[in-house]
Amino acid sequence: MKISDILIMGLKSLSRRKARTILTVLGVVIGSLSIIIMRSIGYGMENNFETQVMQQGGLTTITVSTYGDIFDDDGNWVDSKQQKLDNKLVEQIKQIEHVRAVSPVIQMDAMLMSGRYQGWVYITAMDMDSFDDFEFPGLIMGEYPTPQDSSTIIFGFNTPYDFWDTASRGRGRNTKEIDLQKDKLILKFQGYPTNDKKKEFSLPLKNIAKMEQTNGEFDYNTYMDMEYFKKIYLKYCNTLSLENRKKAIKVLDQYQQIKLNVDNIDNVVGVQDEIKALGFQSYSQMQYLQPLQQASQTLQMVLGALGAVAMVVSAISIANTMVMSIYERTKEIGIMKVLGCVIKDIRKLFLFEAALIGLLGGVIGIALGYISSWLINKFGQPLFGALMSGNWMYDMENTSFSIIPIHLPILALCISVSVGLLSGYFPARRATKISAIEAMKTEG
Amino acid sequence: MNDKAETIIEVKNAKKIYRMGSERICAVNDVSFTIQKGEFCCLYGASGSGKSTLLNLMAGIEKLTSGQIIIKGKSIKRMNEKNLAKFRQNNLGFVFQSYNLLNSMTALENVELPLVFKHMKSKLRKRMAKDMLVKVGLGSRIKHKPKEMSGGQQQRVGIARAFVGNPEIVFADEPTGNLDSKTSKEVMDLIQEMARKNHQTIVMVTHDRRLAEYADKIIHIFDGKVEKIEIKKEGPGEMPFEENAADHLAKEEPVTAILQEQPVTG
Repeated sequence: MKISDILIMGLKSLSRRKARTILTVLGVVIGSLSIIIMRSIGYGMENNFETQVMQQGGLTTITVSTYGDIFDDDGNWVDSKQQKLDNKLVEQIKQIEHVRAVSPVIQMDAMLMSGRYQGWVYITAMDMDSFDDFEFPGLIMGEYPTPQDSSTIIFGFNTPYDFWDTASRGRGRNTKEIDLQKDKLILKFQGYPTNDKKKEFSLPLKNIAKMEQTNGEFDYNTYMDMEYFKKIYLKYCNTLSLENRKKAIKVLDQYQQIKLNVDNIDNVVGVQDEIKALGFQSYSQMQYLQPLQQASQTLQMVLGALGAVAMVVSAISIANTMVMSIYERTKEIGIMKVLGCVIKDIRKLFLFEAALIGLLGGVIGIALGYISSWLINKFGQPLFGALMSGNWMYDMENTSFSIIPIHLPILALCISVSVGLLSGYFPARRATKISAIEAMKTEG
Repeated sequence: MNDKAETIIEVKNAKKIYRMGSERICAVNDVSFTIQKGEFCCLYGASGSGKSTLLNLMAGIEKLTSGQIIIKGKSIKRMNEKNLAKFRQNNLGFVFQSYNLLNSMTALENVELPLVFKHMKSKLRKRMAKDMLVKVGLGSRIKHKPKEMSGGQQQRVGIARAFVGNPEIVFADEPTGNLDSKTSKEVMDLIQEMARKNHQTIVMVTHDRRLAEYADKIIHIFDGKVEKIEIKKEGPGEMPFEENAADHLAKEEPVTAILQEQPVTG
């Protein structure tokens, strides 16, 4: 038989048994619909996770701090311990596999003066070589430090905060927004009184840069190259009395933090374990995100399983339909055999019918899937809001709870057609095994 | 009608044994005969004599226990299912007692069916099927389903289906078994007429002596064995029925012209 004849015959015999065909197709519709809905909610969650995480930024960054927090297995804070962070540790961490970049970090408050206005910055000094690796954002003003000129100070998007008038006091302090382009800035360190015999340290800032908005931690910090920072800090120390100088200079010996960057999100926790093996506590955003991610993966698996159960039920329903169809058409099959129909064609005929049921169900299921996805996104917020409460990853305002990526309908179609083929296969094989003589004797 | 005696079917020591539980029933017991091309051959015997089984063996629908059946020089026994199906497509036509039409299909679709299996183009096979139906006198009923037709009409559809592919051999298993005598005669005349025009070989099974009279050769089967073979000198005046009512059916259409159009497939 030609393919076109098989198609026509299959279509005719399906349309002849309308009620049953519709019911079977309905089964597949429910199956593929539930797969699409379940998966699309899963994708919605994943997507949320990713966008939220992107906004947090620095997911591959691990921080080892002087005061390392210790957590138990459930993520509850137990204790914190003081750890000594020095160049030796930096070198050790560099040896760990998957570590892309390591930089010691010194953080220090500094004062900024602009005329009679005063402000504060929190300077984070890091190796300028590692800026790229830590995915420093683009600049809207100035340039990153270079080996030739490392004196740049880089303000995060939200810094510097407003300066206030040193002359005014009390509640009604005058504040002033600083224009980095125009206003002249002078940097000063505080904490120790200046040696009476020496001139107070003050550094006019010439090289200023500013970052783009990232909605992450970069926005609130101010950055500097480590070597340059050490240089100016030593200058500052030299203006102090001998006693204070010794205290102040200790800051440079021990880092407040060591930041390291890992090549892949999946390796973050592993690297943290290795650092722990060295005897140091570390911190990363991943360690908080991972349990959440796992919880959402579990939920997705449960959803996926529900979809699969629906699909299995529809597979059984297709198989049932095909078996019934064969019983009904036993005589027909016998006649066709005697008239010279090749067995392969009979099998093809039944397989085509089963596949067509799958295809029809799949297509309708996909159409309904898109509609329900839209409905979920439009009206599902109360339900999902309750379901996801306490999950800070969900930005309730702008969330799509259900996302259908283009491969999902294709996948659903493939599944429903192959469910059709699979559940049609054994009945089809049965059909070919019927003896023509016996088949013709049956009533039909 | 055909002078040179060319053997088309050869049955050699054919044997068919059924197992019914522990019992073995020998339905066809060491049967041998030959059928010539263009011959109208009748397997005549009482019910249960094994004549239908013999027909099924010849058609390759049932497997021989031992012996050989050679059709057109090919041993049926040696062919696998696929080749057998192809062989049936190209060489055999079937008329059944219970018509065996597909109830879900119209008369036209039923007649078309053997051509569908032969991968024939839709347009051509529709025309051939339609012409065939007109020829058997059902030109006005091509869109009807079997359930909407009388027994005689259904059998005519069956005949149209058997002859539409212009097979060399047509097997007819009690073709008039479910029909009254008037319709039986119409149907028999039709089969005879069709076969004669194209020198087709007919193998018919019957228990009705009057039907057997249509044949050139009557093979009497008794208890699974050939009792005797009766060769008749065929003549047009020998019609066993009284009336000649069905004759006009065959005269209506130029049968040969249509049948010659058919391409030879396989």
